[in-house]
Amino acid sequence: MNLETYAENTWCKGCGNFGLLNSFKDAVSELVEEGALRAENMVISSGIGCHGKTVDYLNLNSFYSLHGRAISCVSGMKIANPNLTVVAFQGDGDAFGEGIAHVVFSAKRNIDATLLVHDNSVYGLTTGQFTPTSEKGFKGKSTPRGSIEEPMNPLALVLASGGTFVARGFVGKRKHLVGLFKKALLHKGFSFVNVLQPCVTFNNTYSRYRESTYILEDEGHDATDFQAAWGKARETERIPIGLLYQVERPTFNDLLLEGLVPAEPRAPPLSAISEIISER
Amino acid sequence: MVQDFLTVIVGGEAGHGVKKSGNVISILMNELGRYVFEMDDYQSLIRGGHNFSVVSSSTSPVYSHYMSADIIVCLDKRSVDIHKDRLKDGGTLVYNADTVTLDSGTGLPMKTWIKDIKGIPLMAGTIGVAAVSALCGVEFSFLERIFKANYPRGLEANVELARMVYERMKDDEGKFELATAETPPGHLLAGNEAIALGAAAAGLDVYIAYPMTPASTVLHYLAALSKKLGIAVVHPETEIAVVNMALGSAYAGARTAVGSSGGGFALMHEAFSLAGMSETPLMVILASRPGPSTGVPTYTGQGDLDFALNVGHGEFPRIVLSPSGTNQAFEKAAELLNLVWKFQVPGILLTEKHLGESWMTTIIDPESVKVTKPILYDGPLEQYGRYEKTDSGISPMLYPPAKGTVVKASSYEHDQKGITTEEAGKIEEMQEKRYRKEKAIVEEMRDLLTITTHGEGSTSLVTYGSTTLSALEAVKNVDDVKVVQVIYLRPFPDWALWEALSDSEVIVAELSVSGQFENLLRSEGFDVSAHIRQYDGRAFDPPELAARVREAIQ
Repeated sequence: MNLETYAENTWCKGCGNFGLLNSFKDAVSELVEEGALRAENMVISSGIGCHGKTVDYLNLNSFYSLHGRAISCVSGMKIANPNLTVVAFQGDGDAFGEGIAHVVFSAKRNIDATLLVHDNSVYGLTTGQFTPTSEKGFKGKSTPRGSIEEPMNPLALVLASGGTFVARGFVGKRKHLVGLFKKALLHKGFSFVNVLQPCVTFNNTYSRYRESTYILEDEGHDATDFQAAWGKARETERIPIGLLYQVERPTFNDLLLEGLVPAEPRAPPLSAISEIISER
Repeated sequence: MVQDFLTVIVGGEAGHGVKKSGNVISILMNELGRYVFEMDDYQSLIRGGHNFSVVSSSTSPVYSHYMSADIIVCLDKRSVDIHKDRLKDGGTLVYNADTVTLDSGTGLPMKTWIKDIKGIPLMAGTIGVAAVSALCGVEFSFLERIFKANYPRGLEANVELARMVYERMKDDEGKFELATAETPPGHLLAGNEAIALGAAAAGLDVYIAYPMTPASTVLHYLAALSKKLGIAVVHPETEIAVVNMALGSAYAGARTAVGSSGGGFALMHEAFSLAGMSETPLMVILASRPGPSTGVPTYTGQGDLDFALNVGHGEFPRIVLSPSGTNQAFEKAAELLNLVWKFQVPGILLTEKHLGESWMTTIIDPESVKVTKPILYDGPLEQYGRYEKTDSGISPMLYPPAKGTVVKASSYEHDQKGITTEEAGKIEEMQEKRYRKEKAIVEEMRDLLTITTHGEGSTSLVTYGSTTLSALEAVKNVDDVKVVQVIYLRPFPDWALWEALSDSEVIVAELSVSGQFENLLRSEGFDVSAHIRQYDGRAFDPPELAARVREAIQ
């Protein structure tokens, strides 16, 4: 299927975003071909930053949202119409800085949405400042002597918040990433994939990730075991990628709506209103 | 002698059931065929402090409450100190004889009685209701019926207390012989309830809000009625989440509203501009409170007018309107929801505690509300562009799923398909397209009720919002003054106001220290000869406002 648009791609040559975008295209194409997903039911949203341009590069329904708010935006869509498949793309500064509350609460309420984070540990479009996931000592334009803060741990954050699908991928392992995206899109509940995605201009981490990542699925990790997932989320020497944790829990939208589809046309409840008024 | 107008004040601590007693007195008056206005004054605390309710009623419409009362019921000593001077000549003060001793008035041993029947402190309010009822000569069986409908818990104890009150007050029974009518003149609703129901009548599908007084009761009311009305009601983590969820919801085709007070709406500021840029319909209920920052949460004021008119970075059209009473709140809430969907713009219903949390006799017909369908795209799908250029500036909408095309909305400047652009020509084109809607909105407004005029006179008392209610009561006692209310504040209906104000002197009354409304009128070219301002968190008391109007005319 054709997911291309006429928008000119303005990412740097070699940018990790390409790997993420192409993996997502593959995942969507395969799921549509397999009959597991309908492209017209999909809506994507993004925040602000290099990753934000993703919405322009995909021929899908989209809402180019604000810094940190894409997950809130798609949550609203899912409340309005639970038949939609909604995906938020966010950067690491976007998701864990400006928008951290929304990530935590989206996991807490288990809204049926997918959040894919372009995690490159640097603000690219604003030309190289440290982010919530930057290593301690990271020298950026706002931290010229090196970051004095500990980096945030996105996987532990989402696990602790109640996320029902928690995974990490690496754009250098494309086929594996496509598999993760497919699982995330099919998961009923809040799915979170933190994607390691080097910024070739301000924080080129390709070689580091190539050397230290390993695939969880190759080592017999039990993704239904929270304690095991918690342990894997906290590993730093070797970096595990793959599905850390997946459980089923009732979704926020199902519990809230109980079959109601607010976006579907219907007559206003005039007789109910008359009744409510007459009771007073 | 039969008395038509009656004001009752009930005061006590939070936890004494003050508001409930005010509500039940209102219901009683309504059942007696009388129009009611009830103002509840309460502090931002859970227990103790001082709360009071004022119920003014008459067989003809009552637009606002009066602070001088015929009957004052004081459930504690503090209420006596605060309210005793507000008693009108010939009025009756009922007080709690267990906590205070007075030379005049009617002392009832409230605490003792409640203890005797093993009741709870909340029942002090019940004693207050029974005292008012006895003074007004209401038959006990009638009161019992009101109690049955309004005290589902502890009914027997409440009736028992009422009996004790009637017994003790035998000599004063019927001291106030009230004018009554056969049937209740309408139903009692608070402004926020009327706003919620008006939006529901216009097809509200989703309401999202974070609690903030005095907007919270819209959230509470809709949450309680969500099943009955078929409306999804959500209380998320922050106001920022509220508004961004709301935009997603509206993009997906659900008529969505949000509500907050100034501080919470300040957090929505960024996404309000996103609504403007992405042309996503958004209805905001802005219930302002007095003072900047946290201000005075449970009191009334109109200091957010400039904020409502100017909120948002960048330039985009929006609608700001402010209703006065519950009837108008119902109609205008419905109208605003229709308009924001017709023009795909954000709109603000600006209100205050004086409307939002006061109970008024309300006469509305839900069947009179029509849902205006938004302009939907019906052309060839492959040609669809979310931001198609049109003469009116309104681009036909589609909601996902729309097989055969995609719907792309954007916060970034974009082309007609919704794809990002930074080209000079396209930026200009889109800015102009959006701005054209301003003109289209003004054209639409020419057929709408944008201002109201009440009475006749060579002087116009110009107001907006719930201050109009105080003004309508005030001018009952001032000659040659009409009240002119401006409902639409942006776009400003200058054509309608010129007509209403022709050849009259203008006095502006508002609850603002800097005179924001007066400044708005001046900026639209209107001469203002005098202004009356109040900024103590209280609505105008009609007689005081009347005196200030008379002073301004001389």
